[in-house]
Amino acid sequence: MKNETDGTRREFLRALAAGACGACALGLAGGGARGQDDAPQPQVAVHDAMWFERLPDKAVRCTLCPRECVVADVERGYCGVRENRGGDYKTLVYGNLCSTNVDPIEKKPLFHYLPGTVALSVATAGCNMECKFCQNWEISQFRPEQVPSVLVPPENLVRAAQARGIQTIAYTYSEPVVFYEYMHDTAAAGRAAGVGSVMISNGYINEPAIRKLCEHLTAVKVDLKAFTEKFYEDACAGRLAPVLGTLEVLADIGIHTEVVVLLVPTLNDSAAEVGRMTKWLVKALGPDVPVHFSRFHPTYRMKNLPPTPMETLERARKVALDAGLHYVYLGNVPFHEAESTYCPSCAKTVIGRVGYRVEATGLKDGACASCGMKIPGVWSQEQAMAFKPQAKPAGS
Amino acid sequence: MNRREFLSQVGGAAAAVAALPYAASAFGPGKPAEGKSRVVVIRHDALAEESLDARRVRELLDEAAKALAPEAKAADTWARWLKPSDRVGVKVNCLGLATRPETAGALADALGSAGVAPEHITLWDRSDRELRAAGYALRASGPGVRCYGTDSLSSRGPGGYGGEIATSGEIGSLYSRIVTDETTALVSAPVLKDHNLAGLTCALKNFYGAIHNPNKYHGNGCDPFIADVVAHPHIRSRLRLAICDATRPQCHGGPPSRPRWQWAYGGILLAADPVALDRVGMEILDRRRAAVGLKSFADEGRPVRYLASAQARGLGTADLAQIEVVSIGKLWTDVA
Repeated sequence: MKNETDGTRREFLRALAAGACGACALGLAGGGARGQDDAPQPQVAVHDAMWFERLPDKAVRCTLCPRECVVADVERGYCGVRENRGGDYKTLVYGNLCSTNVDPIEKKPLFHYLPGTVALSVATAGCNMECKFCQNWEISQFRPEQVPSVLVPPENLVRAAQARGIQTIAYTYSEPVVFYEYMHDTAAAGRAAGVGSVMISNGYINEPAIRKLCEHLTAVKVDLKAFTEKFYEDACAGRLAPVLGTLEVLADIGIHTEVVVLLVPTLNDSAAEVGRMTKWLVKALGPDVPVHFSRFHPTYRMKNLPPTPMETLERARKVALDAGLHYVYLGNVPFHEAESTYCPSCAKTVIGRVGYRVEATGLKDGACASCGMKIPGVWSQEQAMAFKPQAKPAGS
Repeated sequence: MNRREFLSQVGGAAAAVAALPYAASAFGPGKPAEGKSRVVVIRHDALAEESLDARRVRELLDEAAKALAPEAKAADTWARWLKPSDRVGVKVNCLGLATRPETAGALADALGSAGVAPEHITLWDRSDRELRAAGYALRASGPGVRCYGTDSLSSRGPGGYGGEIATSGEIGSLYSRIVTDETTALVSAPVLKDHNLAGLTCALKNFYGAIHNPNKYHGNGCDPFIADVVAHPHIRSRLRLAICDATRPQCHGGPPSRPRWQWAYGGILLAADPVALDRVGMEILDRRRAAVGLKSFADEGRPVRYLASAQARGLGTADLAQIEVVSIGKLWTDVA
């Protein structure tokens, strides 16, 4: 878990698992492995997986993500959190939370979704990619039995959010696609209780699974790692085409979507690549999709490159604006003017941001307070909870 | 301690430990003897039994070791690869069809004859749970051979893996603390079996159980990842021997245990060159597959790709023409 002291984290996790949240006694059910000092312990939490096909000899094909791993009995898929047990496919991370924090929604980042609010942010171990620059590799690249965690049933998490007055649960940090079943059930329970759900994802998921999930989600952020297959293959152990496919599906569904692009020096940061990417985004998702260019910091298996230069970020922003995108932000560069939202029509500040300090005084009823131009986004919890996926056209 | 106590700690039976003088090792991965790599395949009816006699297994292991290093004096055979000060990790394979505890126990006993204290010999795999399920008796302390999973060292790193991310070719992994902290020498002690993705799992793939993230490395028939895992100095610098339990191999349907595809081959394979051992193991399985009407690994679309990569990394030879197979007992190619 990131960004909280051990003491705070332990208290919070303990409260979630035990059924209380902070100072609020909620009387929730739950549990989890504990050590002698009551600290979270590594464990697995077995639950039926939702997306797979049975094959001969008790093998299965996982159909959750584009990898479509063929998994023999006793083996696991690429993500390390799904296991074939005698021909039945199981997730080992159902409610098995290794990270739980209350974060500003801007940290996800979601800039056009309930600005200035916080999200109860959770993760389990595992990921269906391996990005060599992963900031959260200490949970994303491990198996559940290798990472301390506690069991938090969906209803506990929703009640914990409600008890704290938190409007949103964010599935984040590692890769929520791999804890799909938990996210699905929690999002469904949240929707019934008036708590929204946002998925912070690499977008590496098959179409039927994302369509089903979006019946319950209220927003999605997708990391578009680059615009070349080579980068996806070399740096992420994945493929670009399925991610672009997911973005098109999200546009078709009509769910609020934001896109983050981590610019890695020399590997995906050329003006030409950014130009091709942003033109595609304009065409596929429209000019109003918020796009965040984020600064790379050396970590994990990519320590040989420097942080992204500021001029590279600013150049990318200019290229994106020239391509026709209306809302282009820079991330991991606190105090930069490109943290704020400007009206594409009158250029006035609609939402001012300095780090995680947010002032939305230029936004009135979802429109620019100065000129009245409608600003795309989700600006109220009522609007978030009213979202329904657009029906897929007949015959498609 | 008597032999019975010694072996009983690892689920086996009996055999006294003889302390033998150390002789310098000349074998190891990438160092085939005199141009050709030697693989000894010893077969005996005693190895085809449902229940193994550990004393007999130990005798057959000694015979195989002598055939692998004929230049060594009989009493010094095992000291050819180990010295008394070594701390030896014997990596067994407990996922699905498992290395039999009796075989591993007899092996630990044999290694002790190099003068290695029983307390400095550890039978290990990924987890205590998997070892226990395969019939191993766990022992983390006290006198005698040790037996425990990497996860029992979780206090030293996530799941018992730790240190810095170790990169080798295409892989980036944390290695088991058993390897990095507790051993100076490794013996790969797999079971010979089919693998649905790699084709074969044997001495080399056995070390997928030494890294924290094997799930990341099953694409492309596990190639070149298997070779990269073993090529890292954590493994390569320690690996002395590969000794494969082929008492009841499995030619199809692995890695889970599928009795339908197992047969009483009654053999043990022994080599200092793990690539050569795997190549011979592949040949045995492919011949058995043909005998029972199955396509070869290659014809079934899952060729054993990792062998060529292992050879390219200097871990040994994958060329059957460059491998001297010493057959003791029934001919190694007889897979009926």
